[in-house]
Amino acid sequence: MQIESPNILLIVVAAVVMVLYVFTNSAVLVWVERKVSAHIQRRPGPFEVGPFGLLQTAIDGLKLMAKQLIIPGKADKRLFMLAPVLSFVPPIAALLTVPFGKVVQVQNLDIGILFILSLAALNVLAILIAGWASANKYSLFGAVRSVAQNIAYEIPLLLSLLTAVLWMGTLNLGELVDAQGGFWFVFTPFGFVAFLIYFVTGMAETNRAPFDLPEAESELTAGFHTEYSGMGFGLFFLGEYTNMILVSAIATSLFLGGYNLPFVTLNGEGVLWELIRVLIFLAKAYFLIFVMIWMRWTFPRVRFDQLLNLCWKVLIPFSLVNLAAAAIWIKAVGG
Amino acid sequence: MDFQISDLSLLAPHMVVTGTALLVLLVEAFRPGKGRSDATYLSILGLLVAAGLTLKQFGAPASTGFAGMLIADGYAAFFNMVAYVVGILTLLVSDSYFRSEEYEHGEFHALMLMSLVGMMLMSGSNHLMLMFLALETMSISIYAMAGYMRTKEGTESSFKYFLLGGASSAFMLYGIALLYASCGTTSLTGMVEYFSTLPSLSDSPMALAGIALVAAGFCFKIAAFPFHVWTPDVYQGAPTSVTAFMATGVKAAAFAAFFRIFVVAFPIASGAWTSAFWVLAVATMTMGNFAALAQRDVKRMLAYSSIAHAGYLLIGMVTATSEAGTGMLFYLISYVFMNIGAFGIVIMLGKKGEDRTTLEDYAGVGFKKPLLGAALTIFMFSMAGIPPTAGFIGKFLIFKAAVHEGYIWLAVLGVLNSAASVYYYLRVLVYMYFRESESESGDVIRTSPLSILAAAISVIAILVLGIAPGYLVQIAEAATAAF
Amino acid sequence: MVENFVPVLILFLLAAAFGLGTVAISSLLGPKRPTKVKQETYECGMVVDPPAYRPFHVKYYLIAMAFVVFDVEVVFLYPWAVKFKQLGLFGLVEMLVFIFILLVGYAYIWKKGVLEWE
Repeated sequence: MQIESPNILLIVVAAVVMVLYVFTNSAVLVWVERKVSAHIQRRPGPFEVGPFGLLQTAIDGLKLMAKQLIIPGKADKRLFMLAPVLSFVPPIAALLTVPFGKVVQVQNLDIGILFILSLAALNVLAILIAGWASANKYSLFGAVRSVAQNIAYEIPLLLSLLTAVLWMGTLNLGELVDAQGGFWFVFTPFGFVAFLIYFVTGMAETNRAPFDLPEAESELTAGFHTEYSGMGFGLFFLGEYTNMILVSAIATSLFLGGYNLPFVTLNGEGVLWELIRVLIFLAKAYFLIFVMIWMRWTFPRVRFDQLLNLCWKVLIPFSLVNLAAAAIWIKAVGG
Repeated sequence: MDFQISDLSLLAPHMVVTGTALLVLLVEAFRPGKGRSDATYLSILGLLVAAGLTLKQFGAPASTGFAGMLIADGYAAFFNMVAYVVGILTLLVSDSYFRSEEYEHGEFHALMLMSLVGMMLMSGSNHLMLMFLALETMSISIYAMAGYMRTKEGTESSFKYFLLGGASSAFMLYGIALLYASCGTTSLTGMVEYFSTLPSLSDSPMALAGIALVAAGFCFKIAAFPFHVWTPDVYQGAPTSVTAFMATGVKAAAFAAFFRIFVVAFPIASGAWTSAFWVLAVATMTMGNFAALAQRDVKRMLAYSSIAHAGYLLIGMVTATSEAGTGMLFYLISYVFMNIGAFGIVIMLGKKGEDRTTLEDYAGVGFKKPLLGAALTIFMFSMAGIPPTAGFIGKFLIFKAAVHEGYIWLAVLGVLNSAASVYYYLRVLVYMYFRESESESGDVIRTSPLSILAAAISVIAILVLGIAPGYLVQIAEAATAAF
Repeated sequence: MVENFVPVLILFLLAAAFGLGTVAISSLLGPKRPTKVKQETYECGMVVDPPAYRPFHVKYYLIAMAFVVFDVEVVFLYPWAVKFKQLGLFGLVEMLVFIFILLVGYAYIWKKGVLEWE
């Protein structure tokens, strides 16, 4: 769907497909998450609605829509309603430049990765607005913690992606994938370290366990979205799952060679080849998501000081040193 | 844009000072609350090493680096030297202050060194963006230094300076943006080329507005009328050693950049800005002097007097010849010695937790502490411009240059102002020598060998420069020969 | 260049429309029976006290300031990284100096205890 001159109709179709994809993706992911978590805990998980409980999330979505939207009396009403939309829209817009295949990409941007990162950074704002507007101490503390966590983890995240940008010398996601060819960036030592750092920070950025302190039920009820009900809550939920696919899509394109197989470049023309490429990309991305779910249900939640110390005292120095080492290596050996 | 590794050699003095600042910071981090005197000696050592590196630039031909952004010539080297003098003297005079306040942290020194790096870059900047960055580096460190002791007055002073300084930076940045919009570049060399294609400045009102805004930004930093209102409050509230630092260092660095930018890049507009500066110079010195007459507090009096000194220096900006530049350079270096020296005496007359800066606190000090009184007398004579002190030579050079260019009335007004200023400078001496000491004034002083050294250096420098100015005048002439 | 961002705008609008649309549908479908108790601030069924807006710990401000420093640093590094291979040795030395200065500041805040949470 990449185009030379802007063909509005095609773009609109692509955009609609993208939004629909986000909705289905979230629905499927919720089902996968519940199934995986259930099996990890030796439960069957949802199985009543539809085959293997597949329709469970669809029904849940309908239920959410049919719920009453409660806006607390003391809340700042406009900000309260703005926050969920603000957490839902940017990740979808960010998916625009993700190269699912050579052609399957809504728009290839030269500043691709920077574009995605700037949109992803808006999530902090949404959380802060939600926490502030709710006029509830749990929400506010959840939001403040979450902001402290997100901004801290943003630095190693940016630095680890920077290593990939440095190695391949472009911000364009399509070019980044092509530059790796069959030899994925994760196969280089710097790429490997950067990938590990990125994956940890990515999980922290999506506020998922073991880094889900902002919504630590035991102390903060539900964190910043304590006061949200119905679709307000639903949008936060959708935003979180969209962020998951975004984080793994970036990892796939920058570290895991995108739509290429290891040591094999897939350059074939035609719909069939493109389909294979998209499937490879999605397989990688969903494998990463599976790992994220797996970790969430395996590891206990870290303490807040541990969380920030891990970032400030381990990840930031390591990512800086990794970056400098990569830069020196490029100049000395010629990358 | 072409960058070479060799460009870094132009930055060698700056890098030494920055490195010293970082080292001081690390010393403080690893030995919190114990490293202040180490930090003092380390900073002085760093500044001396940098001075050694700068010495080599004096005879060398001017060279530029970093795509023409940074220039290393005699003028920049001269002002780098001024920065080292300011830094070392401030470190020395603050020693007794910190000792009596039992303040043993090293961040002050690191901030001061960072600020000095900003000052050094300002005099060497050949590009408005570099100049602006240097200005901010200098200012932001000083905002923090003003509130460093966390007293009520210090915080107020820091905040006033920060808010107004931020506004003035905005003015300047807006002016730079307008200049960029009309010239298509912010490098001084590029702007000269652009202006040389214009028949007259009225063809580019946008550039004229930009020049005016840049001038406004500078006038704030040098505390010229009508941008001076922050000066008395900020100078009075800040710790006295910081006041000494900002009264001298900021003024010298701002004038360094002010003179270079206006004389090198905007000669086409000289008709417009000389008449504006003429008015500003007269207003600034008159305002500063007459307000100083009414002060009963010595620190506040010195603040107003620093405004008046900015007025005398603005006469040099009006004249804008290399002769006037020589005068300004000489004036600034003697101003540094006499001002830091005077503030050093003010520090010594205080005691722990109390500054004792009213005129009554000086009553009888001349007999109780004769050496201290004698030093302050020399500083006051120099500020008033009475021979044989450096202050006299500085004023003489500036007025002479103005007369040579035909600004006779300006010089006359300057002389009249100096005469008026004698009243309030000598009043301090009257209190010191002709008033009975009413209370404990001068009984308890805070002092340390380093602070006494600072006063001695200043006294000697003022007398030497006042009696035998020839050598320094030659250096200053060489430094400004290019303008 | 600018036309590359037309899809961005379209997708933004569409996503916002979907987001607002679902909320709108939900407010159409859902019941609207606000009561005083229902609209109270959530506090596990107890009376809300004290109010939510209280000052939080100064540590958060320090962390936020440290973040700004690092974030701006990374912003400077991005264009450098893209052009790194064309920059020659100068680019490497400059950036190492830059990172070194930052690391000194980092060591300083670490030793001064900004990163400690008790």
